[in-house]
Amino acid sequence: MRILRTVVQMIFLGGAVALLAKGLAGVVPANHNCEAYCPFGGIAALFPLVKYKAYTCRLTELNMSLMISALILTIATKKSFCGWICPLGTLHDWLRKLGSRIFGRAFYVPREADRWLVSLRYVVLVLVLGLTWTVWGGDLGFRAYDPFYIIFTWGGHGTLAFSVYIAIAVVAVALFVPFFWCRYLCPMGAVLDPFSRAGGLRIRRNTDSCTDCGKCDRACPHRIPISQVDEVTARDCTNCLECMVECPEKGALELSCYGK
Amino acid sequence: MKKALIIPAAIAVLILVAFVTVNAYRVPTLHLPILEGDARPATVRTVEYVVDGVRCRGTSMGFARMASQGGGVVSVTTYARTRSAIVEYDPTVTDPDQIREAFMAPVVRDGVTYQFFNMLSQTERD
Repeated sequence: MRILRTVVQMIFLGGAVALLAKGLAGVVPANHNCEAYCPFGGIAALFPLVKYKAYTCRLTELNMSLMISALILTIATKKSFCGWICPLGTLHDWLRKLGSRIFGRAFYVPREADRWLVSLRYVVLVLVLGLTWTVWGGDLGFRAYDPFYIIFTWGGHGTLAFSVYIAIAVVAVALFVPFFWCRYLCPMGAVLDPFSRAGGLRIRRNTDSCTDCGKCDRACPHRIPISQVDEVTARDCTNCLECMVECPEKGALELSCYGK
Repeated sequence: MKKALIIPAAIAVLILVAFVTVNAYRVPTLHLPILEGDARPATVRTVEYVVDGVRCRGTSMGFARMASQGGGVVSVTTYARTRSAIVEYDPTVTDPDQIREAFMAPVVRDGVTYQFFNMLSQTERD
């Protein structure tokens, strides 16, 4: 399962890197960068699309289609978009593993602070959409602060002098605090949250086979207390399946698809 | 374990659907009427260009401004994804070649010459 996910992650991260390389080499049109495939662009395009019947900035039908696909995927398989597709999520995942190897442990934010900090992504979402639709006049001003855009366009059009420092900071913090950007600041994660709660493909704990060893809790990069629930409904579950891989009891953790 | 395959399968299907359906609906990046109401000529013809340089709403505005500078352009509609621009024009005032020359004209700024737009193809419609 781990190999399968890594292969899928490598395909999407490889695609983003290939687009970056092509862009730097000048072999693709200037608007054909990672932004063209970002489903969050579909969210940013919604208001101008309804009001002016036109897209904003560089956003196109592809952003809309991929946004709809990402929402359907989340309804079906929780936040697997974050855990399997998103190149920035993959980068965070690999930096988390690298950080654990270097420091021997992950530096998680204390639970009480974490509970408040997770709400920051909703603030970011409101700010990004509000500013895009008002102050920035439809321009995608978030580019200058968006590590996904900054990293995978290597400081492309719309980024500012300090943008690269934001990307460096996000990468550096991700080595210490697992999924710092994804958990606390990512506006796409905030959009997916309500759909993830309804996600049909969930991890279910078989209480008869489970020995309550707690290995699943320690394996979960999002610190979901799996050993304390019968079914993982947490919005942050990306179905990375790390808990199932680490579980020593066969059949104690299983994937259930709409209860089956 | 087999259920884990649902995830990559769903990803593959949904991305395929996204790419297939993307051509099912077409919303412009910019639709700019230039001659409206009484100013709109009785006979209007349409030409579609694929233009290197039309990549967003801002560049579409620039394209519309340059394409219409010679007069006779009724409306400009651009699509950034396909880099295409559909221009309605008054055939008694201008023609597709004149419009093309207008938007491909070099622009001099601070002593530097720029060519912002380059036509890749041109298709006249009825």
